[in-house]
Amino acid sequence: MMVFIHGGVPGITPYASGPHIWGKVPNAIEVRGQTVDAMTQSVRQAIEGKGPCHLVGHDIGGLLAFTLAIEAPQLVRAVTAVASVAAAPSGDGVPNVTLAHPPKPLWSKESQRWALERVSYSHSHIDEALLQACVAAAAKQTPMTPEAYENEFVPSLMKAKSRFYEICRTEGIKVPCQVIWGSHDPLTTFDQGLWLFRGVAQKQRVSQFHVINRAGALPFREEPAAFHQVLNAFADGI
Amino acid sequence: MRLPEGKWLDVEGLRTRYFEAGRGEPIVFIYGGNFGTGDSASSAYTWSENLLPLSERFRAIVFDKAGQGETDNPKNDDYTMAAVVRHAAAFLRAMKLEGVHLVGHSRGGYAATRVALDNHDLVKSLTVVNSGTLSPGIGTNEVVLAKPPFAAGTRECVRWVYQNYSFNPDIVTDEWVSAVMATLAIPKYQESVRKMAKLGTQLFLPELAREKRETLQWINEGRLQRPVQVIWGFDDRTAVIDRGIELYNMFARHERRALFHVINQSGHFPFREHPKRFNALMRRWVESLA
Repeated sequence: MMVFIHGGVPGITPYASGPHIWGKVPNAIEVRGQTVDAMTQSVRQAIEGKGPCHLVGHDIGGLLAFTLAIEAPQLVRAVTAVASVAAAPSGDGVPNVTLAHPPKPLWSKESQRWALERVSYSHSHIDEALLQACVAAAAKQTPMTPEAYENEFVPSLMKAKSRFYEICRTEGIKVPCQVIWGSHDPLTTFDQGLWLFRGVAQKQRVSQFHVINRAGALPFREEPAAFHQVLNAFADGI
Repeated sequence: MRLPEGKWLDVEGLRTRYFEAGRGEPIVFIYGGNFGTGDSASSAYTWSENLLPLSERFRAIVFDKAGQGETDNPKNDDYTMAAVVRHAAAFLRAMKLEGVHLVGHSRGGYAATRVALDNHDLVKSLTVVNSGTLSPGIGTNEVVLAKPPFAAGTRECVRWVYQNYSFNPDIVTDEWVSAVMATLAIPKYQESVRKMAKLGTQLFLPELAREKRETLQWINEGRLQRPVQVIWGFDDRTAVIDRGIELYNMFARHERRALFHVINQSGHFPFREHPKRFNALMRRWVESLA
């Protein structure tokens, strides 16, 4: 069974992600928590008892999937990390200003449209249904305060990433993994995706890297046919 | 895994051997290498792990290129890549195929691309696999495969060459080595080895270099105009990953339906090292375009 894990940090990411971001897929779950640990536990609770799942995670959701594959490999059949900037190495990169200065009021339809356009290759996937779902999600979510983000979330993210790359180097991720990247993702570079793959590929034989053309940070929305083609080919082949 | 029984077809005067199975959208595989190599030899067998599995849903075809495998040598000593490309296109026409999903590996990736660029009416999509010949930049075969430590034409030499192409040396089976040895033993193949001793550097390589310049220019101009995917074995030392990225970026500038796939722990032959996942990528690709 495939389970879809959204990305985004409520109150920080200027568009409200959630299960709705995937469009029409079965088994898109809601992530909760203020730290990567807590978020990982929310994913674990959602999938426990469902048999080993193929976890498909977007951005931070990709890191949650890897973290759960390390913590409880028996629950995970495979991991697909999509545009997972949160899991990719960042080195001494310069700040990414794609989402700096979102227009106010934050979480309004127009502000979220601005953010979604900024992270996309083309605006054509941003329709009324998506914007309404994002507005509804923003109203429902508990926003993380800047203090909680800085003092709790970011340290938990760095810790989880460090653990992830340590495992990649030593015992390896125990399940098949693939990394899917958008060719025109304004939040990252081709290289970052390839280095995330290189990390996984050190010890996991069954690992693949894929690039979807003319797609930004949401390749599953911008090129859904190509995305599902790649996703299903991996599921068929493992 | 074996190929079905071979068939024969006259293609512009060259007796051409091919294998086919299945029905539906046509997939045609073009293997790599060239005529006249004495320490290795490709043939239709190269695709032995792919033809029958993909024939479950599609019409899968592999043929021996001009001068390779069991197909006749080029006429009038035309030992050029252009002759190989012309023969490949003529084969597709002789088979009355259209809407072909072409899959080319290594030198065959170059040939498949050139067939598509010259014959848009025949081709529905293009898949290029670990093709240093097509990718801009230089190949590193000379570095990796320099002077095999065994006599040319021996099983040991053949095994050494393909093992050095591969990530996992165990994938070079006795069956694979025997298929290569069978090609090397054919008198007309031995004739190509003799001829290429001179013509390799005097004709084949300079002609390929000239045509490659033109081919890359055409790709950069966006002349391919067909969906394209690039599949690359991550650990290929003869056509390294950077060359696959460069090639993919050239295609992707002009074609929305351009995908790049990298398969870990694979050398030059990802379709032999990881056939199940390679075949799954091919199946989903063809279905998405059917």
